Amino acid sequence: MAKTDVLTSVWGGTVTGNFAKVIHGLNANQLTDQVIQRSKRMILDTLGVGLLGTSTEVCHKVAQYSKIYSTDLSSTIWGHLDFRLPPLYAAFVNGVAVHSMDFDDTWHPATHPSGAVLPALIALSEAFPQKKKISGLDLLLAFNVGIEVQGRLLHFSREARNIPKRFHPPAVVGTMGSAAACAKLLALDQPDCKNALAIAASYAGAPLANAATQIKPLHVGNAAKHGLEAACLALQGLQGNKQILDMESGMGAFYTDYSPQTLPTLHSYPWLLDQQDVAIKRFPAHLATHWVADAASSLRRKLVERTENLFPLDKIEKVILKVPEVKYVNRPSPASEHEARHSFQFVACSALLDGSMSVESFTSENVHRPALRALLCKTQLEHPADNTPSFDSLYCEVSVTLRDGNTISDRCTTFYGHWRKPLEKEDLEKKFQSNALGTLPAEAVEGIIETVYNLEKVEDCSVLSTFLSGQSARALPEKLRLL
Amino acid sequence: MDFDDTWHPATHPSGAVLPALLAASQMLPPNTKPNGLEFLLAFNVGLEVQGRLMHFSTEAHDIPKRFHPPSVVGTLGSAAAAAKLLSLSSAQCCHALGIAASLAGAPMANAATQAKPLHVGNATRLGLEAALLAARGMEANPLILDDIPGCSGFSAFYSVYHPKPLSAPGGHHEFLLEKQDIAFKRFPAHLGMHWVVDAALSVRNLFVNYAGSFSPSLIRTIVLKIPVSKYINRPFPSSEHQARHSFQFNACAALLDGEVGLGSFSESSIQRQELRELLGKVVVEHPEDNVANFDKMYGEVALLLHSGDVLTGKCDTFYGHWRKPLSKESLLKKFRSNASHVLPEEKIEAIITLVDNLENLSDSSQLACSL
Repeated sequence: MAKTDVLTSVWGGTVTGNFAKVIHGLNANQLTDQVIQRSKRMILDTLGVGLLGTSTEVCHKVAQYSKIYSTDLSSTIWGHLDFRLPPLYAAFVNGVAVHSMDFDDTWHPATHPSGAVLPALIALSEAFPQKKKISGLDLLLAFNVGIEVQGRLLHFSREARNIPKRFHPPAVVGTMGSAAACAKLLALDQPDCKNALAIAASYAGAPLANAATQIKPLHVGNAAKHGLEAACLALQGLQGNKQILDMESGMGAFYTDYSPQTLPTLHSYPWLLDQQDVAIKRFPAHLATHWVADAASSLRRKLVERTENLFPLDKIEKVILKVPEVKYVNRPSPASEHEARHSFQFVACSALLDGSMSVESFTSENVHRPALRALLCKTQLEHPADNTPSFDSLYCEVSVTLRDGNTISDRCTTFYGHWRKPLEKEDLEKKFQSNALGTLPAEAVEGIIETVYNLEKVEDCSVLSTFLSGQSARALPEKLRLL
Repeated sequence: MDFDDTWHPATHPSGAVLPALLAASQMLPPNTKPNGLEFLLAFNVGLEVQGRLMHFSTEAHDIPKRFHPPSVVGTLGSAAAAAKLLSLSSAQCCHALGIAASLAGAPMANAATQAKPLHVGNATRLGLEAALLAARGMEANPLILDDIPGCSGFSAFYSVYHPKPLSAPGGHHEFLLEKQDIAFKRFPAHLGMHWVVDAALSVRNLFVNYAGSFSPSLIRTIVLKIPVSKYINRPFPSSEHQARHSFQFNACAALLDGEVGLGSFSESSIQRQELRELLGKVVVEHPEDNVANFDKMYGEVALLLHSGDVLTGKCDTFYGHWRKPLSKESLLKKFRSNASHVLPEEKIEAIITLVDNLENLSDSSQLACSL
């Protein structure tokens, strides 16, 4: 069912739809005199306090900061030579792009760490105060500060170990990570770093219900942008609560159990990324579906062997998926690409039909094809008690029962790309090339690969932005100067 | 400066809505400018949505502890108001709310810091952004306000959440503002301070009658009877933001000066010796019947004198509270006093006239231009 059908058929039944109807439908005739009188008092009072407030220190700081939106200062929008945007919006747009297809990396405890940090850093590096050059090593260090802060914050709550239910983690810890990373790149002093974190907390948090919608990518885009904004405001001298990470009414607001701890000492600092790698996705969908895809693909091979190399679609009686209980990935009949990327059932059936998953699996034609819809009708989920909703321990078992009564199963405990079975270098490169070639010329694609592989030796990482904009090839090799 | 209006259940409703509407009215092309009545309607849609959302949770009736309400309901109120002004379709209004939810929510810990004003600034700005994105066809979860177990929408911001539909349009709609008025502040500090200040002023009068003048040396102890609310209980505030969120400070300033105003929160005023000494005499009590709720709380200030005498002042309803609203003269006095810091007299009077005749204005963007 398309989204508009949902609205029209259930508006009377959902509170959300009802609110929308009322917002839309209220008209001026319904304003009473009392309401109008009270409103005018409120409007006058608000204007007055606002006018007075323009003379405060806090207002001076945010006004100074906001001028950035009307200057010539701009950063690259990846894949675009035709326009640039103020750095904050470049961070936003590029961050949205990173998470737009749910194709970006995932960590444990669960979040999408890189998307919240990298776009902000790259945008910032292009618009650095005093036009200072940022080296590849500066970028690497700031990047890792951003990742580390996210990981450490996730360890403050047991809730965070499992796939989330209330707030979408990138919106919570991602914003903080971006603030930390940008504070690092800007070389803020300790008090300003503290304030950057405090200010960022006031932007953090987005409800999980917007996952599996078009808004989910904005969670990462906003995390990147708002973290950068927090760091910029801190640079202007804005101050927040110095104990933001300590208090239940601070970061603790986002969790039901919250126990903050100090970080290890700086002397031989143990990075979390050293102990715990990320998972890299092979196709653009929620991480939990990757177990399903591997199990289903393997099962399909078995099926096809038995039946003379043909996939016996009409001989399938039912498909059972044994998966952990994750409500927002349980969608028996997804209607959009965003829903399909968050559907155990969809990925299982796609993988069974096609043998593997790819970017194309989520096109509109593929989402709506009859063979897939038929198979979806035969698919059910089961939630075994031992299948915990944690990216470190979950598994998936796919069973197909045929009309002749036979049942074939396959189980996946670790998919290829998971941190226990990381992608090989060639496969990581192939993924990058396949993704980038649609938007950038070949030389830029190769230029990025080379720059990133040698990042710690790159003198001026603005070369990365140049490649990302798709600028023409010839000028580039000279720009790639290594230390 | 924490000088803006407060509602019940607790939030600062106008600050989250008005700036977005003023900006939006300037954004629209000349031949589509909303008139004053449309502006008033959009403003009230913004307030109404905030009020209705707060009624979804019993938590919201008390002074908040986890998320700062303007950053939660204010963002959605701004989105709704902007969606109304921009004449978005019903479906787009729905998505504006959904997009706004992902931009809502700031922890209470930043109240009483310089970052608190950002909560309202961001609410109004991000709500407008949500409406603009919805206008461009961005789609969010159409059930964002509904209670879906296992996957939180707007309910993420509350531990108790029971959403209810509004009345159907076309039928009679009663705006919450009709039944429940706003409180306007007389001085720039947290609303809770206003009870304590009025109580302090009342006992100060008694004391001056008793002793001939205000003589702090005669006072042994100052007892404040206040509700429990950690972020406004500060025995020795060290910044203007903290002072605006300190029962103790506001009581002592009122006792010392006979009034609390703009100047009470300057650095020199906060640090002065006589005030710090007076603060040293304050003890705080939390009577069980004094609930942390803007509709029910009270403030009581008792002066325990060295002589053994006890003088008490109590305030149930301060002047400016919705039960005792500011008169038109008092409200205009506040506006003129505030605006005169930055605007000349003619502009000030022009704004007053514009707002007073708002429903008759043909182009509401004139209001924004007049500021």
